Amino acid sequence: MKPDNPEIIDRLASEYVLGTMRGPARRRFERWRASTPLVDQRCRFWEECLMRLAKGLTPVQPPAHVWPAIQRRLKLTTHRPALRRMRSFALAASIVLVAGLAGLLYWRSHQTVRATLVSTISAKSGEHIWELEVFGNADRLVVHAARLPARPAGRDYELWALPKGGAPVSLGVLPSEGASSRILTPIQKRALAISSQVAVSIEPHGGSPTGQPTGDVLYVAPLRAPS
Amino acid sequence: MNPAEERPTEFDEKLQGLLGRCAAADADALQRLYVLVSPILFACVTRILRRRALAEEALQDVFISIWQQAGQFSAMRGRPMAWMMSIARYRAIDLLRRERYAPTLVAELPERRSIDVQSESEGGSAAWLPSSELMERCLALLSDMQARCLELAFVDGSSHEDIARLVGSPLGTVKSWIRRGLRSLRQCLES
Repeated sequence: MKPDNPEIIDRLASEYVLGTMRGPARRRFERWRASTPLVDQRCRFWEECLMRLAKGLTPVQPPAHVWPAIQRRLKLTTHRPALRRMRSFALAASIVLVAGLAGLLYWRSHQTVRATLVSTISAKSGEHIWELEVFGNADRLVVHAARLPARPAGRDYELWALPKGGAPVSLGVLPSEGASSRILTPIQKRALAISSQVAVSIEPHGGSPTGQPTGDVLYVAPLRAPS
Repeated sequence: MNPAEERPTEFDEKLQGLLGRCAAADADALQRLYVLVSPILFACVTRILRRRALAEEALQDVFISIWQQAGQFSAMRGRPMAWMMSIARYRAIDLLRRERYAPTLVAELPERRSIDVQSESEGGSAAWLPSSELMERCLALLSDMQARCLELAFVDGSSHEDIARLVGSPLGTVKSWIRRGLRSLRQCLES
């Protein structure tokens, strides 16, 4: 049974962040944190506070081979220095052209990188406010903010999945501009799989402190397969 | 008052901008972030894991997590350095468990480091750590042993049992120092 006493939650959060909570209790706490905004909020409080205990750490330069290993694991390509870039420009251009055509054909034939679910949250006037895309393979939610309505100071818009027969599940605070991309937790993925709608509520700064909508639900929009 | 509510520093804002670009899949931003913060994160995981090869593996994992979770970072909920350092510390603690490598193998109490740190990373001396008068005031209220035990747990990744062995005090006393130290910090920070 999970405690609901704020003092106990805070004590557990402090022990988790400090690192003295170990073993299965730590695993259980991590799952609880991932699904409970109040627990997450207390952990963030302690992460900020206790960081100063590390003031005596002396920075250590990691070995040169670590960054290339990260690039390989993430399959990243960053920009090369100008001279090398110039030399390889012609070759790269040809490769990009061929790869682009191949990629386009692959995209059209397999469509594996397309969103599996999309939703458009619109104002009554029909203006789009947010566009959501869920990518099943990457378990990633991408949100594009379009024309955001004015909101009260110190408040945030929070997105919710509305699973059939269950309580809303938070999908996080919505961006006020630009795009944001986030990895979905297993709980969020399960909720989206049985949701046909999403909702947006207005919440205190940083999101609902309870894990459920506490402010007005301003928008509800259908989740659908991309056309 | 939560230290996270203090005004972000220029360094915080720089890191926030880079995390935002990582969320939009900008690989150059991750590289820039690596240049800025890998020395302190590497120091952090090395201190907990005490084995260089394992610390290098942990650092790779940390930057992969930062890349994958950058979209979840919200400056409204905390400072970017606290967020990244937490990812690093939790990964190191997980690896300790996986490797069954306990810091109990360390026979001696690590030396306490000086407060002023000369950072080799961009941003100058300890730029990664924002100043917080409030937190300093609250830490100063702790007894020597409370502060020492919290530091051994947070920075060295030591368990209750390790700390009891290192400071030569009974396990129950160490648990009590830690519990009271955390309570004192909370009361001071929220008063």
